[in-house]
Amino acid sequence: MKAAPVFEAGSHRWWIIYDQDEHRVIDSNVYVMESNEQSIILDPGGFEIFPQVFAALVEAVPPSSLKAAFVSHQDPDIASSLPLWHACNEKMEWHIPKLWEGFIRHYGALDAPLQNIDDEGGSVIIGGRRLEFIPAHYLHSSANFHVYDPEAKILFSGDVGAALLPPGHDAWVDRRDKTGRAFAEHISKAKYFHERWMPSNAAKKNWIERVSQLDIQYLCPQHGAIYSGDNVKRFIDWFDKLNVGSATA
Amino acid sequence: MNIQHIMGVVDASFKARQSIEKALREIDRRALNAMVLVKRHGNALAGYGVVAQAFRERAAILKESAAHLQERIAPLIEAYMRILQHQRFSASFAQMLEHNSLHEKHCPGLINTQKKWQKIMLEEEAEAGRVLEQLLEMVQQLQESIEEQEYVVTNGRIEAALAENTGAPLMRVSRDMGEAVRTVALAIRSYRHQLESLEHESSTRL
Repeated sequence: MKAAPVFEAGSHRWWIIYDQDEHRVIDSNVYVMESNEQSIILDPGGFEIFPQVFAALVEAVPPSSLKAAFVSHQDPDIASSLPLWHACNEKMEWHIPKLWEGFIRHYGALDAPLQNIDDEGGSVIIGGRRLEFIPAHYLHSSANFHVYDPEAKILFSGDVGAALLPPGHDAWVDRRDKTGRAFAEHISKAKYFHERWMPSNAAKKNWIERVSQLDIQYLCPQHGAIYSGDNVKRFIDWFDKLNVGSATA
Repeated sequence: MNIQHIMGVVDASFKARQSIEKALREIDRRALNAMVLVKRHGNALAGYGVVAQAFRERAAILKESAAHLQERIAPLIEAYMRILQHQRFSASFAQMLEHNSLHEKHCPGLINTQKKWQKIMLEEEAEAGRVLEQLLEMVQQLQESIEEQEYVVTNGRIEAALAENTGAPLMRVSRDMGEAVRTVALAIRSYRHQLESLEHESSTRL
């Protein structure tokens, strides 16, 4: 996997770790936010890709800087690496949806310090910077959160915005293209994912209302590529019109 | 494998890498400054010009070597993390067998799988050892390059002392070059110690 910068302003940085080498498990992105020599890892990934993620992470930040991890929901591609991270750093705090605590502990970290996030959301301070946990329930998991960084204008959007891309894919939906053609091409690889994995149009509307109030420069999904600038609005408009929960075979 | 020791080495490696990159940029800048100074003074500093040119060329070689070093660190870390991953599997099987010895009788597959994981871990440890050895060789080469750079710096000091009118700025440039080279040398030495402690741990365990 590779680590690439997403955002940088002084000691405030975001990284994406992407394009995994193991193709038998779904390709996932892992994000790291660093501020004043403290960092948080977002959706740290599955057990099987842990060695790759860890090796790529140390390109970006020293492991001792990791103070916390955020888990958007309970899926194995998000959090089954928990016991391995915990073995590396027992002090790391895990911010997880409260509903999933008993499930996430099944991954094998009974004594890991888990911090429950209530349904209404919450926040965490890392290196003096506040990250907000934005409710995104039923998108797709019944207790699901996204993370918003108001200074960097980044929304980590979990499975929302996800696309199934081939190995060797880019970290970004082409940023140079102003015509919207790159977005149109990319979104064709996201359509089935959203139709199939997102179960509720009502939840989708609720999320759109919520995030439309945020100033977002980068929308960072856990699979696929990052939407930036005009592509953020293009994505939200496209998602608004999509009939989700509609793609059973 | 002591995971906390490895975490310490990974952290040290990150810091050493940052320090080396910064010092190498500094070396490059100092070399450029020296060359500008030489150009300004024409033939009067021709001798120092040769030194400055050598310094810049060596700086480029150092940068290249440091980049290769980085390429070898990621596979080493990945190898150690794979061992950690497989230790987890192995530990859960061991726990199961420890709690109920009947498993051994009724489920021989458990023993076979346990043996399989142990074999995989031994292979992975051997692989990590090989990568570590290569990395240490690279660090050794980098240290040799630094020693050559130190020699160039010494020559620069001699040339600066010989230059009559422009001796003072040249001495300053030489001193700055020397400091930048020393920073790299210290960072690499500390990094080497960290790697050697890992190597020592592996060899005593095997």
